[in-house]
Amino acid sequence: MKVREDEAMAATPAVAREKTMRSARVRTPGFRIRHSLERFLTYALLIFFSFFVLIPFAYMISTSLKTEEQLFIWPIRWIPDPIAWSNYPQAFVELNRIAPNLTFWRILANTLFITLLAMTAELIAVSMVAYGFARFQFPLRNTLFIILLSTMMLPGIVTLIPTFLIWRNLQLINTYDPLVTGIWLGGGAWAVFLLRQFLLTIPRDFEEAAYIDGANVLQVFVIIMLPLIKPALLALAVLIFQGNWNNFMGPLIYLNSVDQFPMVMALKFFQESLSKEAPKWHYMMAMSTVMAAPLLLLYFMAQRYFIEGLTIGGVKG
Amino acid sequence: MEAAIQSYWPTLVRWSLVGGTLGAMMYLLNTGLQRVGVKRDVARGYAFVLPWIIGFLVFSLYPFVYSFYLSFTEYNIFQPPRWIGLDNYVRMFTSDRNFWPSLRLTLLYAFFNVPLGMIGALGVALLLNRNVRAIGFWRTLYYLPAVLPAAAVALLWRWMFSPSSGLINFFLQPFYALFNMEPLAWFTDPNLVLPAYVIMGMWGVFGANAVILLAGLKNIPRELYEAAQIDGAGAWAQFRSVTIPMLSPTLFYTLVTGIIGALQIFTQAFFITTPQRAGQFLNVLIYQEAFAFRHMGYASALAWFLLMVILVLTLLVIRSSALWVYYESERG
Repeated sequence: MKVREDEAMAATPAVAREKTMRSARVRTPGFRIRHSLERFLTYALLIFFSFFVLIPFAYMISTSLKTEEQLFIWPIRWIPDPIAWSNYPQAFVELNRIAPNLTFWRILANTLFITLLAMTAELIAVSMVAYGFARFQFPLRNTLFIILLSTMMLPGIVTLIPTFLIWRNLQLINTYDPLVTGIWLGGGAWAVFLLRQFLLTIPRDFEEAAYIDGANVLQVFVIIMLPLIKPALLALAVLIFQGNWNNFMGPLIYLNSVDQFPMVMALKFFQESLSKEAPKWHYMMAMSTVMAAPLLLLYFMAQRYFIEGLTIGGVKG
Repeated sequence: MEAAIQSYWPTLVRWSLVGGTLGAMMYLLNTGLQRVGVKRDVARGYAFVLPWIIGFLVFSLYPFVYSFYLSFTEYNIFQPPRWIGLDNYVRMFTSDRNFWPSLRLTLLYAFFNVPLGMIGALGVALLLNRNVRAIGFWRTLYYLPAVLPAAAVALLWRWMFSPSSGLINFFLQPFYALFNMEPLAWFTDPNLVLPAYVIMGMWGVFGANAVILLAGLKNIPRELYEAAQIDGAGAWAQFRSVTIPMLSPTLFYTLVTGIIGALQIFTQAFFITTPQRAGQFLNVLIYQEAFAFRHMGYASALAWFLLMVILVLTLLVIRSSALWVYYESERG
């Protein structure tokens, strides 16, 4: 035990420093017992809290694999017997019965269409705006940036009605335009803020060298800057993807025809069609799992950047 | 499939056109300004922030001003707005029976959800900061609920809180038996809707906040703790006079974003049916007034009221921050 502990301590400089600090204290047996008791308690608490996190997850997946009769069996069976894999296709078959054109593939295409177009527009617009704020000196820059920050406090519901009226006057209600085309202009203020913070940490040397070599400003931005801020862009991409994939208020207000529904609206539509007496929880949990799966996958793939990007606003801001 | 393509195609064309036009405008602004003798840096700066400036004018400033105007009118979108002065606001405070329960529910939700979530988050962050092994694993695990769609979270918790067959009442069964009481009805009992929402909200947010707070904790220089130890400070004294002040900017950030977020809860309410008597969240009330009853004027007044609530609370937090938030750069 002791050897392993020392190994772990030597692993990082920070820990090494702590070690010298510790050795200044007297290493009595009492200290050692207290120390390992503390470690034990730390892990015990961490495991206890992680149950709070994980049990609902497990319950969602477990429910999604149960047959209808198993839903109400007490005590709860965590591993269903038999495992009803067929719930997943069956949930969408049931939905298809009430919405004839809304197949699983159609829902997926609708959701991806909205999510990818909105994400592309937002990433392009936001990175340019952030670059403008981070790198160039122009009159009113700081005032404009403070205005940008203060728009973060503005609740979406305040601007919602006039924005709805704008799209209505353009006769674009019941199209995807309010959800994807407007994004070119309405990019998230927090995303601009986050990218600007990141850009400020990057030295100007690379850009200056490129200008000397005769590159123009767009080339410098695309060829030099974008690769340098790739970690932040990836983190943002995941967050923006997640935001649009989950966006409920937008489709709720702008889309009327069922055929155009993305996943979240399909879920809502399906839920409304069920009677209160038979909520079909196994199908709803299956659909929820399907909706969550791509996000979880993306999160696991990009989580290193993701957490870095997420915390930049809170810690350095 | 053809129907699908028909609904994508026009949008795709307009999307590309708007993007292209915007790019062209940026290019023209940059070269145009430079041609009339504006400094290169200035021209480039304005060109790059142009998308935001247009977006701000069209999708923030104009709607902001217009909704303020609408809040003094009666408007059903089919006839032009009719000026009615303060009537909407008077109606909100005096005769709308949904308003007060809705305000109460929204404020109480924020009041309980934000501090409880922060205490939980701080606890987990402090645990994770104790040189725990496999820190990446724990961080990933605790952040997990924040990745789930709000709609899925709401459905999941509605099912977990199901009075007759949900997981929560299953766990509480021995407790019910011990005190010889009826199982709690959670989302279907008007008095328990709030606690049920608070528990659900905490599950969604505390892990994400813990990850942010952990990053803040990692930023605290170790020398400060060493100095405190040399001065003979115990664990509690170190926590109070090193950890809390050094972490206060991060706590401040999570507090402000937490309040703003909690007051605007929306999606979850659409996937959970609660008894009428429990009230609805303000955002939901506004949505219904606007899009179910076409009371655009009254809904705008409600939205402006929500904005005022958010502003007042945020300003209170910012004002109080002078007392408890410690910024290193302000020291000297």
